[in-house]
Amino acid sequence: MPALEGNPNVTVVDYGMGNIHSLVSALRYLGARVEVSAEASRISRSSLIILPGVGSFPAAMSIIRERGIDIALRETVENPSARLLGICLGMQLLGQASVEDGGADGLGILEFEVRKFGEAEKGSLPLPHIGFNAVFHNSQSSLFKGMGESADYYFVHEFQCLAGKSNGLESLSTYGDIFVAAIEDGQVFGTQFHPEKSQTNGLRVLSNFLEIQS
Amino acid sequence: MRKRLIFTLLFEDGYFVLSRNFRTQRIGDIDWLQRNYDFSRVAFFIDELIILNVSSTSQNQKAFCDVVKQVSRGCFAPISAGGGIRSVEDARELFNSGADKVVLNKALYDNPLLIQEITATWGRQATVGSLDARRVGDTFGFFSDRGKVQQPISAVQSMVSDKTVGEIYLTSIERDGTGQGLDLELVDFFQTLNLANIPTIIAGGAGKPDHLISALNHLGVGSVATANLLNFVGEGLKSARTLISESGIDLATWDVPSTLI
Repeated sequence: MPALEGNPNVTVVDYGMGNIHSLVSALRYLGARVEVSAEASRISRSSLIILPGVGSFPAAMSIIRERGIDIALRETVENPSARLLGICLGMQLLGQASVEDGGADGLGILEFEVRKFGEAEKGSLPLPHIGFNAVFHNSQSSLFKGMGESADYYFVHEFQCLAGKSNGLESLSTYGDIFVAAIEDGQVFGTQFHPEKSQTNGLRVLSNFLEIQS
Repeated sequence: MRKRLIFTLLFEDGYFVLSRNFRTQRIGDIDWLQRNYDFSRVAFFIDELIILNVSSTSQNQKAFCDVVKQVSRGCFAPISAGGGIRSVEDARELFNSGADKVVLNKALYDNPLLIQEITATWGRQATVGSLDARRVGDTFGFFSDRGKVQQPISAVQSMVSDKTVGEIYLTSIERDGTGQGLDLELVDFFQTLNLANIPTIIAGGAGKPDHLISALNHLGVGSVATANLLNFVGEGLKSARTLISESGIDLATWDVPSTLI
């Protein structure tokens, strides 16, 4: 992978859910200077932010609210030079609401809602959706710049962001249902897959994110 | 959805080992491994890596974490690690050493609370339940303690129906390390239990790429693993991946950095 120009500073939001080790390693491998933080004040001062996360949507939202991270992230997206990437649960949290574990409201930064996998829930496919799957790149999305029409990425999730419900550039994948695998809406980005665990395909997506000019 | 080719490393008291019917034989230490399996390269030919600590004593947790750290450097594929996890702290150390998921075996039967605590923090998708099975009479039984202690089948049934873990790693004790091929009868048997359709990785018995291919072509099988350090040494995993793909099985693709081809 080519080294990034200028070693960008990126803040990884660590709100205590899930494992950020591999994300931080991948970003450092690409030449980024990584700061890991759960402090709202630190996050709102950053211009390049990644919101990772695995686990339960309502549990994540309650920690995020408790620590004021929700307010910091909303402030961030009002700063035109800032860019925010949500990964896996982090992408789902950007949406309006999820039905997971009794349901909860999300950050409300993007319009989509988070639902169960309809077909897989019927037992036709294993759940969680685990492994590499093809994503059809939205040709206008800067996340997939120079990467052709589609590529394989590593997923591990049980809930999906409903397609066609947002104003953003959606890149889609299929697992029984068609779902949003990645989204780009202005300065806000999301990937349902784990770019840090998707071999060189994922490293290119992370590198594209870090290099997007605002 | 692509199928998965997974490599498993077994670590015991400072050495990587070959296992045959759960009896282990030392092969080499971390220096041997790096000479014969440069993991920053080999990892580009597999979909996931599993690293299991099969030491009989728990004193080796720190040495095991060091190994996970070294092997995970430069690996941008998912890594599962486990063996001997007795506490949330043990799990946390493995996550902090580079594991994306933890593999649990004995706790599945005797410490369900520990699994609940791990899933509360890291999510169910970060847990892999390792089930060791072999024939008992005209059916199969599940065993803990390196295949020594039989566990009630009801424990496995409730683990599956409650979806206690995100994935299952199913090993055939009889085929383990024999190179005779994976036990597809065990796979069929387990599918009758796995009513919740938890993603399952099958392991034990792969001696050559043909075994991986016939297992991946078996109904309901999405993922296979091999722990055979000697049969897949050097170019072994790269050529196995090529052969599996050429046979028409749908594996994921990505570019391998040109410096590593």
